[in-house]
Amino acid sequence: MDFVQYLPPLLRGAGLTLVICVAAGVLGSLIGVVLGTAKASPSWIARAISSLYVNFIRGVPILIILLFTYFALPLMLPALTFSRGFTAVVGLSIYSGAYMAEIIRGGIQAVPKGQSEAAEALGMHYFVRLRYVIFPQAMKIAVPPGIGFLIALVKASSLVSVIGFVDLTRAGRIVTTLNQEPLTTFLIVGALYFVISYPISLLGTWYERKLA
Amino acid sequence: MTLYFGDILPYLPVMLKALWVSIYVTLISFAAGGVLGIFIYLAKASRFKALQLFSNGYIEVIRNTPLLVQLYLIYFGLGSIGINFNPLWSVLIGMTLNNSAYTAEIFRAGISAVPKGLREAGTALGMPFHQTFRYVILKPGIRNVLPALTNQFIVLFLFSSIGSVIALDELTSTLQNLNSQTLRTLEIFSVGALLYFLTSAAIAFGSRITERLAFRW
Amino acid sequence: MIITVEGLHKSFGKLEVLKGIDCEVAEGEVLCVIGPSGSGKSTFLRCLNFLESFREGQVTISGHNLTGAKTNLNAVRRDVGMVFQSFNVFPHMKVIDNIMLAPMKVGKVSRVDAHARGMVLLEKVGLTSKADVYPSTLSGGQMQRVAIARALAMEPTVMLFDEPTSALDPETVGDVLDVMKKLAEEGMTMVVVTHEMGFAREVADRVLFMDAGVIVEEGTPAQIFESPQHVRTQTFLSKLL
Repeated sequence: MDFVQYLPPLLRGAGLTLVICVAAGVLGSLIGVVLGTAKASPSWIARAISSLYVNFIRGVPILIILLFTYFALPLMLPALTFSRGFTAVVGLSIYSGAYMAEIIRGGIQAVPKGQSEAAEALGMHYFVRLRYVIFPQAMKIAVPPGIGFLIALVKASSLVSVIGFVDLTRAGRIVTTLNQEPLTTFLIVGALYFVISYPISLLGTWYERKLA
Repeated sequence: MTLYFGDILPYLPVMLKALWVSIYVTLISFAAGGVLGIFIYLAKASRFKALQLFSNGYIEVIRNTPLLVQLYLIYFGLGSIGINFNPLWSVLIGMTLNNSAYTAEIFRAGISAVPKGLREAGTALGMPFHQTFRYVILKPGIRNVLPALTNQFIVLFLFSSIGSVIALDELTSTLQNLNSQTLRTLEIFSVGALLYFLTSAAIAFGSRITERLAFRW
Repeated sequence: MIITVEGLHKSFGKLEVLKGIDCEVAEGEVLCVIGPSGSGKSTFLRCLNFLESFREGQVTISGHNLTGAKTNLNAVRRDVGMVFQSFNVFPHMKVIDNIMLAPMKVGKVSRVDAHARGMVLLEKVGLTSKADVYPSTLSGGQMQRVAIARALAMEPTVMLFDEPTSALDPETVGDVLDVMKKLAEEGMTMVVVTHEMGFAREVADRVLFMDAGVIVEEGTPAQIFESPQHVRTQTFLSKLL
C-alpha cells in the first residue's frame, strides 16, 4: 500500500480544516466579545437577548447548527449564495460565538468589582471603564478557557464533512473510497488532527503556567 | 416564506422516539465511560510510571482527536479488519471511550481541588489512606466534580448526534430523513433544535436540584 | 520523657529547613515554640507525628520510635492529636460527626459511646449547642474548637498545635486560647507553635526559640521574655513589642 500518493489530499484537507477553524475562531471571538459583554452588562435587555442566544446554541448539537445553516438558512436568506465553505464557516461561527461569549462573560465577571468602582469613582463612563480597565484584565483571564475552546472547535469542525465540505475528515472519507483502507487512513487523519490540536493544548498549558 | 408546523405535527412521536435513542446511548456511554474514567484516573494517580504514561497518552490522544474520526475508526476501520460492530455498538463504544478520557480529567481535577489540609487532618487522626479517602476526601471531591460532570453529560448528549453519520436512528438522522420526506426544512430543524435544547436544559436543571438536595453543607 | 528528638534534619529539595534539632518534652509539660516565619518551627512540629517525613535523626513520641522499621504510623497518630492553623474541619459532616469519625473508624468505638464522648468534649470546648450544625455556619474560632475536640476524641497522650490562632479573627482568639489553657491545666502534654506571646508567657512551662532551622535558645517564659541571652532572640522579641 503506497500511502504517499494519498497524503497530499489529506494534507490539503488538514489545511482547509485549519482555514475554517481560524475564520470561525476569529468571527466567533468577535461575536463572543459583543455577546459576552452584553451578558455581563447592567442592561437587562442586553442580558436577556444575549442569554437567549448563548444558552440556546449551547444546548443544540453543532451538527444540527450546521445542518440548519446548510438546509434552512439559504431558504431564509435567498439573496445570499451559500458555498459549502461559507456555510461551514457561518455554522461554526454561530457555534463558537456562544461558547466564546460565555468565556468572555466569565472573564469580565472575574475582574474584582472594586476595579470598576475605582474607575467609576474617577469619573469614567461605562464604555471607557470597559475598554481601559475591565477588558485588559478580563481577556487575560479568558485566554486559558479560550484556548480550551479552540481545541473543541478543531474537533467540532470535523462535522462540516457531513455537509460536504472537503475538510480533513471528508478528505479521509474520500481517500478510503479509493484505497479501501479505512483503518490506516483514519489513523493518519486522527494523527493529523492531533498535530493541529496538541500544540494548541501545549500553548494553553504554557500560558497557564506563565500566569501562575 | 411562511412557517407551517401543521404538516410536521404527526411526526412528533417519531421525533420523540428518536430523542429517546439519543438519551439512551448517552446514558449508557456516560455510565460506562464514567467507570472506565475512574480506572484511567487511578492509573494516572498511581505510583507506576508505566501506568501514568499509558493513561496520559490515552487521555491526550482522545482529547486531541474528533469523536467523529474515532467513530470512523471503530465502524469502518475495525470493520475492514473483520471486527464488525453495528452502528449502535460503534456509537456506544466510541462515546464510552471518548467520555472516559474527559471524566478521568474531571475526577483528577475534582480530587486535587480538595484541600490538602483535609487529607492531613484524616492522616493525623490515625486513619489509613483508604479510610481518609472514603470518609474525608470522597464527598467533597464528588461535590467538586458534579458541575463538570453535568456539563460533560450535556456535551456527550449533544455529540450523540454524530451517530447519524453512520446511520444510527437517533434524533439527528431522523430529522434528516423527515426533512427529505416532508421538505418542511425550517420547521423540522427548528423543532429538532428545540428538542435538543429542552433536553439539555432539563439535565442542567435536574443537576442543580440534585446538588442542592445532596449537599446541604 | 514523652517526646525525645535527636539530631533531626529535614530538607525540601536542596533547602535545608531543619539543621539538627535536639529536644525533650516531659509528660504534662507545655512547650511553646516561637520564632520568625520560615524558621522551621511548623516543619519541626509536623515531623513529630511524621506528617512530614525525615531521613536523618530520631524521634520518639508516646513510646513509639518514629524511624523504626516496623513502626505503625497510624498507631502513633492515634496517640498524638494535632490541631492545624487552617482548622481542616470536615465540611461535609456535622460538628458531632466530625468528632465521632475517628473514634468509630479508627478506635472501633461504638456509635453510642462515640456520641457520648463527643458531647462531653463539645461541652468542654463550649459548643454543645452546635453539635448538629454543619461547620460552614461556624466562626473560625468555633471551627478551631471543634478541631480541638476532634483531636481529643482519640484520647491522645500528646497534643500538637500548629499556629492554632493565626487564621482567626482577633475577637475569637481568646475562646480558643481559653480551651487550650484549660487543657494545659488538666495536665495534657502540649507542643504549641504560636505567635501568641501572651499565651506562651502565661501557660508555657518552657519556651523554645527557633530561627533558620535551629533551636537558638530555650528556657522558662521568664528567661526568654525578660532576659533573652541571644541577639537573634532579642531582635525577634523587640520587633513584636
